[in-house]
Amino acid sequence: MDRAFHLLMRSIVGSGSALHYAELARTLDLTVEEGRQLLLAVMQAYPIGWLHPETDYIASFPPLNNLPTQYRVTVHGEQKWFAQCGFEATSVTWLFPGTTVKVEAACLDCADPMIIEMRDGQFVTVDPPEIVGHLNYGFGPSRGRPPFL
Amino acid sequence: MNLFRSEEHARRWVLFNPQSEEGFITLSDLAGFFATESRHHMLEPDYLSAWFPKRGGERRAYLERIGKATPFWLGTPSPP
Repeated sequence: MDRAFHLLMRSIVGSGSALHYAELARTLDLTVEEGRQLLLAVMQAYPIGWLHPETDYIASFPPLNNLPTQYRVTVHGEQKWFAQCGFEATSVTWLFPGTTVKVEAACLDCADPMIIEMRDGQFVTVDPPEIVGHLNYGFGPSRGRPPFL
Repeated sequence: MNLFRSEEHARRWVLFNPQSEEGFITLSDLAGFFATESRHHMLEPDYLSAWFPKRGGERRAYLERIGKATPFWLGTPSPP
């Protein structure tokens, strides 16, 4: 399962989208169904990510997201990634060591832009400087649906 | 789990939960929360088995350090 997780993480970091289970199966020399079952096992072991409801498509593989969010991530001038949420946006830096990672998002109140740039965990730019994080329902299964926290 | 231009912007958000006043976190605390040791190993081949299981404990310890060891942040049931 480690191998599958690693391939999924490497694929979303490398291209902006995670491997489909059939691609995972081919890479690991498995049948397509074995690949699908492996994907389900990985997502069960990594429950902070999720599949799109009623599908076997990866929606979220944190800290990145397969499904676009407002948290657009740019690396080396290329915007092809999305962070799972505003919180995970601050950990995308660990996926691109030695590189400046830019996260741009529209504020959910006014739609004005927010920009943070980080390099190896340190902030390079915070615009506006008053940007804050906010957890709307608290962690835990009883407090809200994770995709909408 | 969103970022806002300021606390006032968050409070004006149409979906702002009035019960979430304790849900604010500074950007520097947030970066620390998502910079615990296991996060540095997300690209390693054994991350899922060796590092991901450490994440919960690290998060709890960090929340205690910044004074947010509450049910809201820890994901534990609220007291009756």
